Amino acid sequence: MEIIRNLTRRKLRNILTISGIVIGVLALVTMGAMAEKFNALLSGGATYFGSNVQVADSSTGGISAFGGGLLTLDRVAALEQVAGVAAAFPDISVSAKPGSTNTVSFGVPDYISNSDPRANDYSAFKIHLAQGREVSTTTNGEVVLGSDFATEFKKHVGDTIDLPIRATDAPPDFVNHTFTVVGILAKTQTAPDTGAYVNLTDAQMLLKETLPASIRASIDTSKLVNGATVYGKPGVDLDKLADKINAEVPGVKATKPSVLVASFNSGGAIFTAITTGAALIALVVGGLSVINTMLMAVTERVREIGLKKAIGAKVGDILREYLLEAVLIGGIGGAIGLLLGWGLTSLINAATASANLSLFLLTWRLVIVAILFSVGLGAVAGIIPALRASRMDPVQALRAA
Amino acid sequence: MATIELKDLTKHYKQGATIVKAVDGINLTIESGEFVSVVGRSGSGKTTTLDLLGLLLRPTAGQIVLDGVDTGKLRDGARADLRAKKLGFIFQEFNLLSTLNAIQNVMLPLRYYKNGTDGKVRAAALLEEVGLKDRMHHRPDQMSGGEKQRVAIARSLINRPSLVLGDEPTGEVDSETSQQLIGLMRRMNREYGVTFVIVTHDMDIAAQTDRTIRLKDGKVLSDVRTDADQSYLTKLERGEGVA
Repeated sequence: MEIIRNLTRRKLRNILTISGIVIGVLALVTMGAMAEKFNALLSGGATYFGSNVQVADSSTGGISAFGGGLLTLDRVAALEQVAGVAAAFPDISVSAKPGSTNTVSFGVPDYISNSDPRANDYSAFKIHLAQGREVSTTTNGEVVLGSDFATEFKKHVGDTIDLPIRATDAPPDFVNHTFTVVGILAKTQTAPDTGAYVNLTDAQMLLKETLPASIRASIDTSKLVNGATVYGKPGVDLDKLADKINAEVPGVKATKPSVLVASFNSGGAIFTAITTGAALIALVVGGLSVINTMLMAVTERVREIGLKKAIGAKVGDILREYLLEAVLIGGIGGAIGLLLGWGLTSLINAATASANLSLFLLTWRLVIVAILFSVGLGAVAGIIPALRASRMDPVQALRAA
Repeated sequence: MATIELKDLTKHYKQGATIVKAVDGINLTIESGEFVSVVGRSGSGKTTTLDLLGLLLRPTAGQIVLDGVDTGKLRDGARADLRAKKLGFIFQEFNLLSTLNAIQNVMLPLRYYKNGTDGKVRAAALLEEVGLKDRMHHRPDQMSGGEKQRVAIARSLINRPSLVLGDEPTGEVDSETSQQLIGLMRRMNREYGVTFVIVTHDMDIAAQTDRTIRLKDGKVLSDVRTDADQSYLTKLERGEGVA
């Protein structure tokens, strides 16, 4: 009670100090939420690509979904013959917005892919339906949308959508097809959120249409895919399996999962460093202003401290009172900063949702870090002023001018 | 029973190269329930003596024995405990906390020394006794000097002390208020049997105490008990001069 009144005693000064912490925590929360979003994106990738072997045409590097030569279906069948392979699924992935000029995106650009529900049984990264059902392998013209994809185009189960999406400046020979939305995926915070999933036959049709018109007629795309995802039998070392595939199946290139996972993790490290940097700046700026404020408060209240010591307060009592006041300054600043950060990130996410851009992910762990951080900051910054107060000589303090 | 014994009490300060003998070998015994004034010119050592009595300073030599406890042997924490349990303080400039109202100020010592659960009731009763029943929820800046000192007197008694120390308790108020305050302190001294030792430069105030100790250069110059028929108790019995 007295501590709260003490804060209102020098309103302007404390408001300014609290504002400093608010700004620091706001920076921490927004930068942190961005890092969390990015880390979720990457960790989803690391989980998914860590649990399988990506196989592409031998001319391709890494993940077939991100471009490269085509693979024939008989190669996919050959992969299943390699000892240690549990299943091999053909992969097709084409852009959902071909020719779109908005290509730089924080996240994975919209794509259309084939989906085989059986892959979920093997993958460490599980995908769940929020609504509806999987696409039929036999009935064409059905699509399951990722959650961001559905939000971007405001589609629900039962609606129809023309895929790929027609760009405003589409060439005259652009073709697309009407699909019925049969399901919408639960939000994953990573790649599947921006995907649209059709069956293999439809995916092959869409793949064919990405080829130049001059060669389209001469190619039978029912035999072609972008690549394959291979799952090992339980206990099989996937890096060794990749080596084995490269040795036994001609014309393909299998990438070791450890290489892909390492590249995902190194991306996450950069963002973690940015967040830590923001936190450090907040620590220095907020901490110094709390120290300054509390030192001034101690100087102003010398007589009060002297009186308290005279009537029996011990070093620890005074220390506790002043630390608590500093912690309160930190806590109030942190709470306001957190609320503003939550508001700001939600607002920006809502504003950019229609552009299929989800920048921030405010996780519970970030909320807890922000609260602990601001309270801890107050406590650390309060130590010096509180020590000064608690060690004051009562005789001198009582007679101070 | 002797409440306080000062034995060869000495406090020397170094001031540059010279040594200031603020208190220079004081021997005194103050009985339980006495109302004592300490007088002397500035520099006579009266404030230092009061600080030593209040366990706010450690003597250079000599002893202060409080209710049989030799306070010189106690650590800082134990001295703080003793202050919390046995001592009350009244200051010239009141030293009330501006953020707390009257009753909260009276209860402040209980924050550092829990003495029963009836703190609020006792604080209210004390404020009523000092005549501030209607001002309990006023903050210090809404009160006059005399009222503030009444709050401070109530505060000094909340922990049921055996000794209350006053450092020029009437120094900041006019003479009429000053008379009221000394009357109030005398009444508390009598009602609760609490020993009072007050430092003052006002001889009118000193004349109303049981005993006046005059200091000079850190030594006791005189130690005079007030005449029986001059004393407050006698006047009280005659029905005169009661505040």
